[in-house]
Amino acid sequence: MMRKIFFYIILCISALLLFAPILYAVSASFMTPQEIYAGALFPSSINFDAYKEVVNSIPLFHFLWVSFVMSFMVMVGQLAVSSLSAYAFVFIPFKGRNLIFFLFLSTMLIPWEATIIPNFLTIMKLDWLNTYQGLTFPFFALPFGIFLLRQHFLTIPKEIWESAQVDGCSRLRFFYKFALPLSKSSLSALAVYGFLTTWNKYLWPLLVTNDNSVRTVQIGLKMLIAQEGSSQWNVVMAAVVVILLPTLFLLFIGIKYIREGLTAGAVKG
Amino acid sequence: MNRNIFGSFLFVSLIVVFGLMACSNKTDGGSEEDNDIISVTFWHSMSGENGTNFEEIVEEFNNQSDNIHIESVYQGSYTDLITKIRAMGNTDEAPAIIQASGTNRKYLAESDFVEPMQKFIDEEDFDTSQLEENALNRYVIEDTLYSMPFSTSNAVMYYNKDMFREVGLDPDNPPQTFSEIEDAAQKIKDATGNYGFTMATIGWYFEQLLANQGELYLDNDNGFSGEPTKSLVNEEAGQGIFQWLDNMNKAETFKNYGSDWEDPRAPFLAGQVGIYFDSSANIREVVKQAPFEIATAPLPVPDGVEPHGATVGGNSNYITNKVSEEEQKAAWEFIKYTVSPGVQAKWASVTGYFPVTKAANEEDVLKETYDEFPQMLTAVEVNNKTPAEPAMSGPLSDDGEQFRSIIEAAQEKVYEGEDPKKALDEAAEKINDLLK
Amino acid sequence: MGVVKKEVNVKKQRKKEVKLFGVGMLYLLPAIILLSVFLFYPMFKTLYFSFFEVQGGGTVERFVGFENYISLFKSSEFKESLKATFLFVLYVVPGEIIVSLFLAVIASEKMKGMGFFRTIFSSTLGVSVAAGATIFLFIFHPSLGAINNVLGFLGFGPIEWLTSSKIALISVAITTIWMHIGINFIILLGGIQNIPEEMYESAKIDGAGYFSRLFKITIPMLSPVLFFVSMIAIIGSFQTFGQIDLLTGGGPDNSTNLIVYSIYKQAFSYGHFGFASAQAIILFFIILLATIVQFRFGERKVHYQ
Repeated sequence: MMRKIFFYIILCISALLLFAPILYAVSASFMTPQEIYAGALFPSSINFDAYKEVVNSIPLFHFLWVSFVMSFMVMVGQLAVSSLSAYAFVFIPFKGRNLIFFLFLSTMLIPWEATIIPNFLTIMKLDWLNTYQGLTFPFFALPFGIFLLRQHFLTIPKEIWESAQVDGCSRLRFFYKFALPLSKSSLSALAVYGFLTTWNKYLWPLLVTNDNSVRTVQIGLKMLIAQEGSSQWNVVMAAVVVILLPTLFLLFIGIKYIREGLTAGAVKG
Repeated sequence: MNRNIFGSFLFVSLIVVFGLMACSNKTDGGSEEDNDIISVTFWHSMSGENGTNFEEIVEEFNNQSDNIHIESVYQGSYTDLITKIRAMGNTDEAPAIIQASGTNRKYLAESDFVEPMQKFIDEEDFDTSQLEENALNRYVIEDTLYSMPFSTSNAVMYYNKDMFREVGLDPDNPPQTFSEIEDAAQKIKDATGNYGFTMATIGWYFEQLLANQGELYLDNDNGFSGEPTKSLVNEEAGQGIFQWLDNMNKAETFKNYGSDWEDPRAPFLAGQVGIYFDSSANIREVVKQAPFEIATAPLPVPDGVEPHGATVGGNSNYITNKVSEEEQKAAWEFIKYTVSPGVQAKWASVTGYFPVTKAANEEDVLKETYDEFPQMLTAVEVNNKTPAEPAMSGPLSDDGEQFRSIIEAAQEKVYEGEDPKKALDEAAEKINDLLK
Repeated sequence: MGVVKKEVNVKKQRKKEVKLFGVGMLYLLPAIILLSVFLFYPMFKTLYFSFFEVQGGGTVERFVGFENYISLFKSSEFKESLKATFLFVLYVVPGEIIVSLFLAVIASEKMKGMGFFRTIFSSTLGVSVAAGATIFLFIFHPSLGAINNVLGFLGFGPIEWLTSSKIALISVAITTIWMHIGINFIILLGGIQNIPEEMYESAKIDGAGYFSRLFKITIPMLSPVLFFVSMIAIIGSFQTFGQIDLLTGGGPDNSTNLIVYSIYKQAFSYGHFGFASAQAIILFFIILLATIVQFRFGERKVHYQ
């Protein structure tokens, strides 16, 4: 019993410390500018002015939609490309696969800043500016995702693969009948990861779009902050909260599936 | 069961993705949808409240024009926008009008894709004498005006009048020299325990303090009479500035609050510091938020030096040659509109920039604003007194942005105890390396 | 007879290999195309650029040979950058692994309400760099920020989180660790839950206490996952960018001017694209070296089942 209470205390303290920055942002978004300047920790009353300001000054819901479509496409693309490649690396014993795998891995080391201008020129040559292809295609191949799924596929017992072959199961069939369902946890982790990292992109969407109809919510955040002027911290925090809500929401839903998948993996051992 | 759900999810997702790709037709901003209406793309960096006000000006122009439609697109910060222009300027994707800050003026003027503003001015005999000479000079290179100034500001000194009264300083007679500020800051410190003076660590202020002494930043007239070969920042005038900051820092009457524009504002508004420098474009906001009385004054000079005035900050607009002649003409119509007295008066009164067009000062809307915020007049008066000299137009170089961060790093070294002369000499050396 | 049979076998074998290779390539094709276009090509382009003077947009002006590299190694700023980057990796990688491991261990207990805590601990994965850094910018604010206000309330003087060149890097590291906790926590918790229950039970029978089980079973069994996490952490911290841009802009006095940030500044703010490319190539090799070293040392310590 003492042991449980002790753990709960540690858990609560850790959770509070970890979540404090987000709570503080929420708290500040409800403050008046006067309270901000007084250095308050909590607002004296709940004040929605900052949120009204956010909604009124940018086409927020449209930006959210564009961000959603872009992130969803990248998520699906990454899942498809990464799982196909990881499958090949694990279940197709062709020569040179280790070499190719390490070549893939090495791309993780490339600083992203170095690729952005050549990639931008490529997208421009393809005439993909202001399109969802331009926004998403460069992120479909994710070495991190291939790596993650390969590690997971490696844990699938060889017996399943062998007995499936005996039953005359084709490679493609094994891929979507066994390999994918057995890797749900890693796939959902990768899905959440892919969605969130894409949602959070700023410089790339800014470069490849010239039109508010394909602008993302991160650009919207920047539009709210005056460049050399005074930041109204309550408005900035309100914008931060608005951007955080969808991703946190997705994560809170997604985490359930990730956890389920992980426990399933544990039982399988 | 589970497997089927998973498989169908993947399948549906793939269909959705490819469906979206097929649907996402290119939405091109620059093409003419209507035969009578010329669409002109304009890339800008106006965000926050300035962004909203700016969009209003564009909308008003579009409403009053029969055949021109300005398509204004926010392209991130000045740096983001120039990044994009560096990559796209020379292609057909380039917009008709580009907004840029002064540090990029040499790059843009020398690029292949900018049509000098002078061309449109000459073709039409447009009368530039109605515009502020000092603002134009910043963008004139070898007698050619490359861009039309739109927003102009300079650096001014803000001070807390209530605090001045409290500590026995004359609130209507602010300190005007380096040593007067040192004394005032000491007085504030002694009487209240607060800091006397601060400024954000932004290289722009150093440029302003140098210009106010009428001194050059680079040789060859700040780069206006030829390629600069040597930095002059560590001559006597620059050393004086660093020494002055070091004195106050050592006396603990100065505090460094950071390198963002707004870093010193919060402590100033909270009454933790009595005097600070800021862009004149922020006077309105700061005065509105302050729970005490604020006044502004020109930047100080070393004792015995006559104040010269200020370099204009802000931004200007360029017309590119990557669009049809028709679009260029339409762009020029819009540019003229942006410097018309009515628009400049409105822009100045809602933002805090001072007008580029002299006649704007006579507009009622601006007069009313000045009545309400007399603090805004300091920047206008300083600008009017500023002589037409290369020293007042700031350093002209592709590396202007980098010069600033070099000076900033040197300043930060001094704040942490480095010898000011050594820090500035090293900074000058680094700038010289870049000029090679 | 035997020789002929062998030849047939070899032929068959070869045929089979070619076929397998073809099938493998078919599965890899999407990834190969995408990686070639969007990663390998830019990488070679960067290598090429690093020997030229290049304008920001990628317009090549003139060949300069190794000049970019030479001026890079001469520049004191690059040395400062390298030092800051190594220090940063040194702060962030152990920091985030220890904190996430701690959280994963306490969250792996079987107790009521654990779902709530696990959700909270993974929440920072949902926080974008921009949003997270903006929040910390406010928290670290010299006069408005929460931490200094609380410190002031407790009677301590304010800490110069972002304006002191001695502290700024630590502040950025704290922000980075906070943002990375979510993903590391999820991966590590998954790893802990994958450890077979029987191992703990037999240890319990042997009378092993909590900490002895933690250090004798959990951590050794977790080593492949820890290896993966630390590799991601090292690569990620070498490539830290957004936090720097929002929090310090590389200052004060270049103390937080990490290599990637310096690349960004040189390429985008200053337009020195060739110079920035040379820096990117150097960074590539540094990360490569770090990863190889890690594989060498890591592999020996990793327990595979």
